[in-house]
Amino acid sequence: MSAALSRRGFFAAFRQPFERRVAPAAAPVVKREEAADVAKVAIVQGRFCIALTSFCSACVERCPVSGAMKKERGMPMVVADICTGCGICHDVCPAPRNAVLMLPRRPSLTPQPT
Amino acid sequence: MIQRREFNKLAALAAASAAAQARAQQSSPAPKPATNDGITWDKAPCRFCGTGCHVRVGVKNDRVVAIEGDQLAEVNKGLLCVKGYHVGLALYGKDRLTQPLLRRNGVLEPISWEEAIETISQKIMAAPEQFAIYGSGQWTIPEGYAANKFIKGGLGSNHIDPNARLCMASAVTGFLSVYGVDEPAGCYDDLDKCDVLIMWGNNMAEMHPVLFSRVMDRRTRGEKVTIIDLGTRRTRTTEFSDHYLEFRPHSDLAIMNGIAHLLIKQNAFDPKFVERFCNFRKAPKDPLATPSAPLHGDAMSFEDYKAALEPYTPELVEKLSGVPAEQIRMLAGLFANKDIRITSTWCMGFNQHSRGTNANRLCHGIHLLSGHFGRPGDAPTSLTGQPSACGTAREVGTMCHFLPGGRLILNPEHRKETETIWNVPEGRINPKIGHHTVLMWEKFCTPADKGGDIRTLWVQVTNPGQSLPNLHKLFKAKAGQPDKFLIVSDVYRTATTELADLVLPSAMWVEKNGMFGNSERRTQQWFRMVKPPGDARDDAWQMIAVARRLHDLGHAGMKDKDGRFLFTLKNDKGEEVPVWEWPRYYDMNVDKALFEEYRAFSRYKHKDLAPYDEYVKARGLRWPVVQQQDGTWRETKFRFSEFDDPYVKKGAEIQFYHSVTKDDKALIWFAPAEKAAEEPDADFPFWLCTGRVLEHWHTGSMTRRIPQLHAAMPHSYVEMHPEDARERGLANGETIVVKTRRGELRLPVWIDGRGHPPRGSLFIPFFDERLMCNDLTLGEVDPISKEPDYKKCAATVARASSAP
Repeated sequence: MSAALSRRGFFAAFRQPFERRVAPAAAPVVKREEAADVAKVAIVQGRFCIALTSFCSACVERCPVSGAMKKERGMPMVVADICTGCGICHDVCPAPRNAVLMLPRRPSLTPQPT
Repeated sequence: MIQRREFNKLAALAAASAAAQARAQQSSPAPKPATNDGITWDKAPCRFCGTGCHVRVGVKNDRVVAIEGDQLAEVNKGLLCVKGYHVGLALYGKDRLTQPLLRRNGVLEPISWEEAIETISQKIMAAPEQFAIYGSGQWTIPEGYAANKFIKGGLGSNHIDPNARLCMASAVTGFLSVYGVDEPAGCYDDLDKCDVLIMWGNNMAEMHPVLFSRVMDRRTRGEKVTIIDLGTRRTRTTEFSDHYLEFRPHSDLAIMNGIAHLLIKQNAFDPKFVERFCNFRKAPKDPLATPSAPLHGDAMSFEDYKAALEPYTPELVEKLSGVPAEQIRMLAGLFANKDIRITSTWCMGFNQHSRGTNANRLCHGIHLLSGHFGRPGDAPTSLTGQPSACGTAREVGTMCHFLPGGRLILNPEHRKETETIWNVPEGRINPKIGHHTVLMWEKFCTPADKGGDIRTLWVQVTNPGQSLPNLHKLFKAKAGQPDKFLIVSDVYRTATTELADLVLPSAMWVEKNGMFGNSERRTQQWFRMVKPPGDARDDAWQMIAVARRLHDLGHAGMKDKDGRFLFTLKNDKGEEVPVWEWPRYYDMNVDKALFEEYRAFSRYKHKDLAPYDEYVKARGLRWPVVQQQDGTWRETKFRFSEFDDPYVKKGAEIQFYHSVTKDDKALIWFAPAEKAAEEPDADFPFWLCTGRVLEHWHTGSMTRRIPQLHAAMPHSYVEMHPEDARERGLANGETIVVKTRRGELRLPVWIDGRGHPPRGSLFIPFFDERLMCNDLTLGEVDPISKEPDYKKCAATVARASSAP
């Protein structure tokens, strides 16, 4: 049971299409970015995050990359160096105004070669 | 921090589309002026849980376009949870039911409302005594009242029960047998005042998030509040708790006995409080001696009580529950300290329990024994799951043994009073109690020649096809029985409409006028703000229209003593309006007329309600609402306490004025620790617990159609301990088979997910209609409350590939 396999396996199961009674249009639009030229990184905008005043951890729970997101006093945080920019956290954010911004990864965020 | 108002408005505007419809016929007396952006705002309680938060609803072009937390509401003070922010979208799932549907040759086909009403009326006329209504704690107060009057005062039958039987029936029997009257003495203000908050099997951070935020907010302001989580698995709530006490399922009874044992052993209870305000009780020798015997019990002396508790030493309790003796001593030490204030909360952990009534009693008992009662912050308080479980199911009495206002079917005086208020002939109300929920469905699913005496069943505002326990037996067995007729009033297709013979499209939430009553005795009101889609109509109208059709067909019960129709309703000018004709239904405020009639019932148990118009002005009022000398209406926060409750005698300090023993004293019960109805064994080695998740409300028929909530929690799962998974070679996310003696379910396993069950324990949420965990549950009922246990049964797991 490897960690990477297990997390991805689990979320793959979650991503099965929404069936039967709910019209497809009502199903969540899970937009996957086309293989982007620009590497991205997620940032949680705390002021829009439900966890600021209530409870939510959808993004942390569903992040497929071990260690890329953590919770600090209930609030989700992205560990930029580990984040692969896949955007799942953005897709699952249930805040009225999406709290996860996907930004182009700027060179300064990646470790500089010494 | 961004202004919450701005945040929500922007957000909801973005979320809602701008389909324009004709402006709804507003029924509110004073139309609200639109703001600059063309949005009209009005207040309403949230549609989802029993917390009773208020939202402001923004309407534009006959569509709800914005939701924001209501700053004026005491319950939530402008705050909402993830569900509340999106409550407006519950109306706009793509597959709203918009026309009545009748099943012909296995297919649901559109019919007219006239045909639908006629069909129901003919079914009832054919066998009125074999007709039953299965309602809901999501019925508004007037809807529940109309249904109750229709069946009990009109058809002379008591076969009506709400889904609240599955939810808080044990809390009701707990309150009744301790205080002689239902519902909590305290209120949410206790959460603001307590020094210690004990949550008994209660995952407040997910199930009542706004209430838990209220407590968290105190912490951020630097106040000290000790949070104790007693549970059978680690949850979101545990993360914020100072102490987590994990107990073996069903051993909560032992823990509470252990606390009482120590309080007495260490002479740390409150003898003054106990002597002045309490009597002792135990289960009756003969529970069948009188109908009230199980609630009144047998008297017991303090010495007997002490002796009964003698065996529950911390060491024995540790053995039974798995909670270290030290922690039992810690809990007892808190109760022994009179300088601190302790609030206990519970919800389904105690209530959905095959000894649920006893669990409730014991919790009240340790508060009474230690005198932690009657001061702000010192209270045992049950929380409800549905928005009007208290308001409609409990207060209106839409249960098979209740009459409105806390009255009982079995009491001849109560029947007479009810008949007087309803102006129906003496003897109209059937003296025999009806079928409770589980029995009702059992009888409906049993062929007539085998004793199944319910033939036609009308379900409103609930989804029993997913929420009943042991679905194969209690719901699915209806299939293939052509003489059984299932009518379902709902807003979407659900697991229940799968077997329905007639489906009626209903108006929901702000598409109709309504009133709810929340967990803290708060009665709330709202007006219709938008029109329902298509030909969807109010549930209360459906009931009244059927009553009228029966009246026209000559059913004698649909007339009162003076020969007038049972629902002869008058507008504010005193003119009768034929509200059974749909175009005329909103020519008057039917809610107001029904509520004013119902109010007359509320005084008997001192649950006094104010006139309708007071609720229009308020963000809810907590009963008893009593008129003061200057004509204003005052709510009551702390019942039975002299400083706040106007019904307590001067100088009494605390008075239980509906005392079972008629001496103004509450009852402290002894109840033994017992085994669960089904415990793990060699064949089924796991405990299986079911419950809810933050993002979805109950069976998910509304929340699963809200894209944001569905995306955040799209699929059901089973939680399992990593060691258990490793032993069986199961990987996270792998589909596994969970099996019980009732059925089996294939679903992904989630290891170290949101909840963390201990070894030998599983958890499955029940929101997902594709993966219905109630195919598995046992549903053994509490013998007193008749509420099923959804939290405990024995299960086994296997890899999906190797399962037979």
